[in-house]
Amino acid sequence: MIPAEFEYYRPKDMAGVLSLLEEHGDDARVMAGGHSLIPMMKLRMADVPHLIDLQDVGGLSNIEINSDSIHIGALVTQSDIVEHAGLADVAPILREAALQIADPQVRYMGTIGGNVANGDPGNDMPGLMQCLDAVFTVAGADGERQIPARDFYEAAYMTAREDDEVLTSVTIAHPQGGYAYEKQKRKIGDYATAAAAVQITKEGGTCVSASIAMTNLSDTPVYSEAAGAALVGTSLNDAALSAAIAAMWGDIDPTEDNRGPIAFKNHVAGVILRRALERAWSRA
Amino acid sequence: MVSFTVNGVSQDVDVPLGRRLSHVLREELNLRGTKVGCDSGDCGACTVLVDGDAICACLTPVAQVAGRAVETVEGLAKTGPTALQKAFLRHGATQCGICTPGMVMAAEALLRCNTKPDRAAVETALGGVLCRCTGYTKIIDAVLDAAGRGTGPEPSAGCAVGARVERLDGAAKVMGNEAFGADVVEKSALIIRAVRSPYAAASFAFGNLEQWAEARGVRVFTAKDIPGINCFGVIERFADQPALAETNARMAGEAVALVAGSEDVMAALSFEDFPVIWTVKDPHLSLKDAAASGAAVLHKSRGDNQLIAGVVKRGDVKVALAEAAHVVEGSLRTGHVEHAYIEPEAGLAWMEGDVLNIRACTQAPVLDRDSTAKVLGLPVERVRIRPAATGGGFGAKLDLSVQPLLGLVTLLTGQPSKMVFTRSESMVASTKRHPAQMHAQVGADVDGQLVGMVFDGDFDTGAYASWGPTVAVRVPVHASGPYVVPNYSAEARAIHTNGPVSGAFRGFGVPQAAALQEQLFDQLADQIGMDRLAFRQKNALRDGVTTVCGQALSGVGIGACLQALQSRWDAALISVAGFNASTEGKARGVGVASCWYGCGNTALPNPSTMRIGISAEGTICLHQGAMDIGQGANTVIAQLAADALGVPVHQIKLIDADTAVTPDCGKTSASRQTVVSGKAAVLAATALRAKILQMANMGSEAEISLSGGVLTLIEGVARRDISLRQLPQAAYGYVLWAEETYDPPTEVLDENGQGAPYAVYGYGAQLAEVEVDLALGTVKVLKVTAAHDLGKVINPLLAEGQIEGGIAQGLGMALMEEFHPGKTENLHDYLIPTIGDVPEVVSHLIEVPDPEGPMGAKGLGEHVLIPTAPAILNAIRHATGAVLTQLPARPDRVLAAIQAAMS
Ligand SMILES: Cc1cc2nc3c(=O)[nH]c(=O)nc-3n(C[C@H](O)[C@H](O)[C@H](O)COP(=O)(O)OP(=O)(O)OC[C@H]3O[C@@H](n4cnc5c(N)ncnc54)[C@H](O)[C@@H]3O)c2cc1C
Ligand code: FES
Ligand code: FES
Repeated sequence: MIPAEFEYYRPKDMAGVLSLLEEHGDDARVMAGGHSLIPMMKLRMADVPHLIDLQDVGGLSNIEINSDSIHIGALVTQSDIVEHAGLADVAPILREAALQIADPQVRYMGTIGGNVANGDPGNDMPGLMQCLDAVFTVAGADGERQIPARDFYEAAYMTAREDDEVLTSVTIAHPQGGYAYEKQKRKIGDYATAAAAVQITKEGGTCVSASIAMTNLSDTPVYSEAAGAALVGTSLNDAALSAAIAAMWGDIDPTEDNRGPIAFKNHVAGVILRRALERAWSRA
Repeated sequence: MVSFTVNGVSQDVDVPLGRRLSHVLREELNLRGTKVGCDSGDCGACTVLVDGDAICACLTPVAQVAGRAVETVEGLAKTGPTALQKAFLRHGATQCGICTPGMVMAAEALLRCNTKPDRAAVETALGGVLCRCTGYTKIIDAVLDAAGRGTGPEPSAGCAVGARVERLDGAAKVMGNEAFGADVVEKSALIIRAVRSPYAAASFAFGNLEQWAEARGVRVFTAKDIPGINCFGVIERFADQPALAETNARMAGEAVALVAGSEDVMAALSFEDFPVIWTVKDPHLSLKDAAASGAAVLHKSRGDNQLIAGVVKRGDVKVALAEAAHVVEGSLRTGHVEHAYIEPEAGLAWMEGDVLNIRACTQAPVLDRDSTAKVLGLPVERVRIRPAATGGGFGAKLDLSVQPLLGLVTLLTGQPSKMVFTRSESMVASTKRHPAQMHAQVGADVDGQLVGMVFDGDFDTGAYASWGPTVAVRVPVHASGPYVVPNYSAEARAIHTNGPVSGAFRGFGVPQAAALQEQLFDQLADQIGMDRLAFRQKNALRDGVTTVCGQALSGVGIGACLQALQSRWDAALISVAGFNASTEGKARGVGVASCWYGCGNTALPNPSTMRIGISAEGTICLHQGAMDIGQGANTVIAQLAADALGVPVHQIKLIDADTAVTPDCGKTSASRQTVVSGKAAVLAATALRAKILQMANMGSEAEISLSGGVLTLIEGVARRDISLRQLPQAAYGYVLWAEETYDPPTEVLDENGQGAPYAVYGYGAQLAEVEVDLALGTVKVLKVTAAHDLGKVINPLLAEGQIEGGIAQGLGMALMEEFHPGKTENLHDYLIPTIGDVPEVVSHLIEVPDPEGPMGAKGLGEHVLIPTAPAILNAIRHATGAVLTQLPARPDRVLAAIQAAMS
């Protein structure tokens, strides 16, 4: 099936984008890499009479590393993240995760903004951003506002961003300690059966902080505060790992599909989280 | 207007800015080297470079490349293949060629920034491009050797057979000039789209079609418009499938109407308000539903929804099993498997005088002609099938797809018409591998000698017969495997459901049966306490011993194949034990399985005819009507013909399949083309040689050479020069020619399936080494060692390619492939092996000559897939104890089986 005909716009600045969004309301959508949106339009899962391409809007493609924070423009692609040397030094988990998304062709086009704004529970970046406690900046007719990643996701394809707002950047504090992005997928280019993003800090042999988020195990990414809390003050011994996994299980809500039945998904989530924690701990 | 450069030339195109780049390149700029396999970012066939980076052109709106530099496959080879493209040819990295432009472009992007990539880098760079034919091994080899030089051998007269000759038809594939079904251009063609049933079972009635069509400026065609008999089938006796359903849809995706119109109108047309009213019925979606007592029947003449049953019986199996020292039994269920060739069905039709011409991808041109003529009520002379290059088939392009639909529209409008299936349409409308529910029991005596086997299987043939009868007949003949089983009883039934039509898919049901039989053999060997390979060797068929059909064979190579695996088997058992002793959380295992497979139709006539001629100008033409769908018939058959005639293979010009110019070579199915058409080619070339020798009055050892229109014969000191221009025209534009037909000798099977179903069999065995993640249930196949008896290896390069490709498909069937109508009609929900999934493959090519095959050769194409799945399953069980009762062995099933084995 061929996508229904649509109007295509390519404004040069954010003001142009916002005025088109205002003019066409629900009928308009922004497009970044198009690698989620175009397949959806093709399947007529998304009906988009007015498509606003963000590619020409300046100022959205930078990666800035400040003394205590990282600022990533919405149009930064997954391959930009993979190739940026400085980023891998301050936040290596970003590269580790980006490399597990799809294949080079997709990574070259897919953007961080599109990945986090899309709202598809299968996307890898949202869980990662929750783990890193990222803050999204969105711009609208009334100016900018900040939305924490942990408050952003409401349901599948439903986010705290209003239809007439554009996500312009992602801000992350320099992550501390050990990290791991562990993803179970069925083949190259597959979305996760389960994935876990973990950042963990330790002092002596004791865990000081742990941040854990899970992907594709609910209709939104799942930041499991309880799982992190179960680890603080422990040496990540087996009992602590089991407690964290049990806490994570309390927060996820997988459904049965081609990737397997619910019990299996819970099981995989547990295995993946355990592996992520062990790897992150060894790096902490 | 968008401006950018393509291959260094600036282009201004005036199209809607949101048009995909793939569409603009192909349709506006006529650069059809960029292929479209899925239109969704899943297959990578559309990979092009934008400012040097590889991207999917099908997901890129053309406006995004404004001002940028686009490079396509056409831009690489300005004066001939580049070093990279030559490496693809040298290594046999292209088979059907539909993935090749995408592969080449992805590799090009890599090599520009990394001139010496390692294997891992190649796998990463090509990870987004799918290939269904090659199993990726030769593609990786080609990219790693892109800096290498040279071309394959160009053997001298008489030396073609056995040489690693590059594909004779390969250059167009690597350079992107090959014209597949969707690449045939005719701007004036009406575009056809089908209205398909969304329901698995429904009756329907149309509203006011005329009004709907008129309002949109299109034409609508339904079953009422079909001038001939609206019923086709690959086996005439079982023909039951309408080109367009009349009042009843028996499966989801069945075409009920066609809409044809100009390209612009059709692109924007929505079928949402198409005037059809459905009355939905309760479908039979499983074998159980269809067989339930009182279940509605799909076809009136087939009560109980049973299409056919095939039986083979020998000896007294009841007594044998009752008296056996060891007996094992088990069941296996398999699902629908999709062929997933990267080229969706496509083609073009046009009239030439009163002859309907159709150019579409296919595996069976003559069958297409006859069935299309029947549906359209035309004499066969008025239909000409001129196949397009076929981007993979594996069995599903044996059945009609676009042909009768194109024919209908063109015949009724007089206008050219074009139809290109979308990926999901291809997956919903094409045939599948038969899902099977099988049970078997096998017994052996105390010494490990097989004494008897019972096999019983139901095969879900879906809504229409297609190749169901072939599966039902082939399975009982082959379910013993290549072993001596003195007492045997096997029955296979083809059952109709409202599922997708199950048809031919590499092995016709034999891979499913082998997956059960070979697992049971492992269990039996373990019970007896015998080494699993030794158990197979002890029971392997040998020359002169009778098969389960009572046929005494000669040239049986299974023993030699198993022998060839012995050293790796011994080494692998030791290395696996070492790994398992020192590793936690993972377990490795080794498995082996065998195959045998009869080449050609089962106990039915199966002829091929080849013509070879020499023109007055001195060109040798081989009318090679055996469709090359990537497997290599064009090259292999030419090699055979060249050696039989006594000329260098590169001097032979191939005349491609075309029902008006090539004699009937039958279907590219049942691994028959090398054996049957190959033998016809040998006979024709031998006859031509005899004519030449006779004309020159020379003995049989004379050497023939051809240069500048002069045929020279030399025998010892004697020499004769024949000026071809001085010879009278004989026929078909040749001064010298011969045509021969070969039909392999077979015998009809009696009511117990006893007889000689095939003239030639091929044999093989594979050894799989796997690693299982015990916590996740994931299986990684590390290495497959394959030994296949080809009788005579005509082209080792192509034979290895068949083996590697078959193993990749077998791996998919074993571990990941599972088609669910309505849920997996795309290439991201339906998983096929990627470059990252395939193991290292080591091939041993065994030559135990067959007395009947051409120069001793046997078939190979389907054999190669049969042992893979059972070898993997046996390796999983060896590693973990897990016995799989359902395929594919998805991680959740493996995990459940591991847990069951532990408790
Ligand atoms: C074969 C294939 C495999 C893939 N595998 C994975 C995978 O494993 N993991 C994964 O995470 N992703 C995967 N993806 C998706 C890929 O990463 C997408 O590129 C990404 O999800 C979306 O990024 P985009 O820039 O292409 O967004 P687009 O497709 O352009 O947009 C996606 C959605 O976000 C909205 N949007 C985009 N940008 C903004 C913005 N700045 N502000 C507000 N809304 C915006 C759009 O309106 C749209 O609704 C895969 C894609 C393909 C084709
Ligand atoms: S056609 Fe573009 S990825 Fe398949
Ligand atoms: S050669 Fe790769 S798909 Fe056929």
